[in-house]
Parts: sequence; structure tokens; C-alpha cells
Amino acid sequence: MAGGDGQVSHSLEKQFESFRVQLEESAALREQIRAVVMEIESATRLIQANLLLVHQSRPIPEVIEKAKEKIVDLKQYYGRLAEILEECPGQYYRYHGDWRSETQAVVSQLAFMHWLETGTLLVHTEAEEKLGLNSLEFGLETEDYLTGICFMSNDLPRYVVNRVTAGDYDCPRKVMNFLTDLHAAFRMLNLRNDFLRKKFDSMKYDLRRVEEVYYDVKIRGLISGGDPPGVQAVQGQS
Amino acid sequence: MLLYGRLSKDNKEEVLEKAGKDLEAVRDQHFARLMKELQGTDFWKLRRAYSPGVQEYVEAATFYKFCLSGTLCTLDEINTTLVPLSDPSLEPLQINILDYILGLADLTGELMRMAIGRISDGEIEFAQRICQFVRQIHRELMLVVPKMDDSYDMKSKMEVMLQSVIKIENACFSVHVRGLEYIPLLGDNAPTSYLLGAADVE
Repeated sequence: MAGGDGQVSHSLEKQFESFRVQLEESAALREQIRAVVMEIESATRLIQANLLLVHQSRPIPEVIEKAKEKIVDLKQYYGRLAEILEECPGQYYRYHGDWRSETQAVVSQLAFMHWLETGTLLVHTEAEEKLGLNSLEFGLETEDYLTGICFMSNDLPRYVVNRVTAGDYDCPRKVMNFLTDLHAAFRMLNLRNDFLRKKFDSMKYDLRRVEEVYYDVKIRGLISGGDPPGVQAVQGQS
Repeated sequence: MLLYGRLSKDNKEEVLEKAGKDLEAVRDQHFARLMKELQGTDFWKLRRAYSPGVQEYVEAATFYKFCLSGTLCTLDEINTTLVPLSDPSLEPLQINILDYILGLADLTGELMRMAIGRISDGEIEFAQRICQFVRQIHRELMLVVPKMDDSYDMKSKMEVMLQSVIKIENACFSVHVRGLEYIPLLGDNAPTSYLLGAADVE
């Protein structure tokens, strides 16, 4: 019997030894991934800090120029991520959580930049392209893309408010039309009760606030051009 | 800090003078004592004991400087004022980066309250200056905060800070769009605009 026990404990040890090796490998891989993801996060923050300047009425082309420089870096980082994942084929989803929220933030900034430039929505394939990703090997998850778009929508009410304060009374209408279309498009999706669904719900509130700003501006006759009577009076006084 | 609540363009000079004196008093009395207590020990070692107090001081000092000149009191500037308090032979207590940044975060909340208050007094321009200032601080901190030690606390302060910025922006927006019709509304306790949000009644 002693011999039998010896065999059992030996295969038990072997199993756990093998686990240890595998888990060490995946931990090492995770560390590599983490390092790259932190760079992605850093670059995204820089882009975000730059884009924030549009709230202060810095000219859009200037703001976007600076932000675009960082996209080159992002492309590089995602390339490295893809390389790292090549070491362990078929495990994209195992590690996907490690870059999920960062990627959502990236999409959000890219989409905002795109909208500032063109007034249109950055589509999924374009976003993938900008980051040098491709759906066959290492792609941009559809859900990450969609969540990123929702994050972008969250920033729009603030933008509209500040544009109006700066005297751009056309902005609310443009944003309202854009968000209305976007929201309607999202409604075609049959979202379950998960994170994306919650983000989509918040878009409704973004749209409502933009509508309120639009009506505020409209009923005061500001859209036809010219400053509100209050501002004129104040300017007259000072 | 209560003094600043009463600050308005009429009593500005005298309130600021009193505030300046109070700040000096805090420095001379409490900081000097703190330094004596900490003598001989590593400042970092006991930081958790005195950090909140230091943060409050930073908040008050930067608030004072802003009211005085509209500029930010830098960490170096604050630390320079502390040097004379200690014995020249000893190492002076210097506020570290982390406490300074944490104090700065609290400053923006106070400024937000002041901005909203200024607007109800009709001082729109001052509110706009505060808006610019707080935006700038938020933006600069955004890039620095993730690198801080124990950045968890600071991260939630950043969210609060962004909310303060947004509140100020919304107030400036309302004034701009509604102009003179808005200001008396604030005084009458009329239903506040959706943009200010109920949370302002703190």
C-alpha cells in the first residue's frame, strides 16, 4: 500500500508543479501586458488633457494636431500588445480584461476627436484602423468600441454648455442632431442588463441635457445670431 | 475659511487683511509647534498624523493667495514661508508634494462655492476667472495624479473636482444665456436651474 500512496502523491505533486509553472508563465505574461497597458493609459491621458482645451475655446485644428501625435504612440503600443499575445495563441479573451477599460477610454477620445473634426461618428472599422488593429488577429472588441462611444457622449453636454458660454449658439443644434441619431442607432441593439446597457442609458440623459441647452438658446432667440439681451446690457454698463 | 465666505467686493481689503493675519498666526503658532514635535524624526514616518492638518493649511494658503492675486501659490512659495519658523540648525518642516496636491484638490471645492456665491452677487467676471483657474488646475493635476503614491484618494478627489468645474461652467453658462434675468432669480430662491442641480444647496 505504501507503494500505492507514493504513486498517488507523486502524480498529485506533478499536477501542482505543472500548475505552478503554467501560472507563473501567465503571471509573467500579465506583467508584460500590464506594462504596455500603462503606456496606453498614459498616452490616452495626454490626449484627453489636450482635448480638454476645446472647453476653453482653443481652436479645434490646433488641439487636434497635438492629440494626433499621440495616436502614433498608441498604434505602437497596441502593436506590442498583439505581439505579446502571439506568444499564446487563442488566449486573447483570457487576458482581454487587462486592456478593456483602457481601450474603451481610447475609443472615447478618438471618437470625440473625430467628431470635432468632421461632425460624424467614428465607425468601428475606422477606429480599428487608427490603432493598427485588425479583427482577424488582434482586433477592437465591438463592445469596447460601443462603450467608448457612450463615454464620448457623456462629454458632449459639457462641451455644448461651454461652447454656448463662448457665444457659439449653433453648437447645441449640431450636437443634438448627432446625439439623437446616435441614440436611435443604439436603440436598434438589443442590449442586456450589463455595463454597456448602463452606459447606453446614461446617453439618454446626455441627450436630454443637450436638448435643454438647445431650447434655452432657442427661446431666447439666440440662434438667429447675436448675444442675449442680458449680455448686451452688461456690456453696455461696463 | 469662514472669513472667505463673507468676502465680497466691498469688504475685500479688510477681509483679506484679517485672513492674512490669521494665516500668519497659524504658521507661527501651530506650525512652529509641529516642527518642534517632529524634530529628530523622519517627516515621512509620521506623515499620517499631521497630513490632514497640513492639507487644510495648503487649502487655506492657496485660497488666500488666489483671492489676493488670482494666482496659484506654489509649493515652493508656501515652503519658503515655513523656513523661518524653525531653528536654523534644524531641518525645517517642508510640505511635501502629496500633501500639497491633496490640499489643492480641496481648494477647488471652496473656489466653486465662492464662484457660485459671486454670481449671485452679480460678479460674473470673477466667477469666470475662477472657472479658468479651476479648469487649469484640474487639467494639470489630471496628468500628475496617476503617478502619486496611494492615488486612490486623489482619484476620487479628481472626480469631485471635475464636478466642481462643471458646476462653475454651468453657472457661467446660465448667467451668459439668461443674463440679467438670472441674477435676481438666485436671490429669490426661485427653483434652481436643472444645470446647477440640487446638490448645490449644501
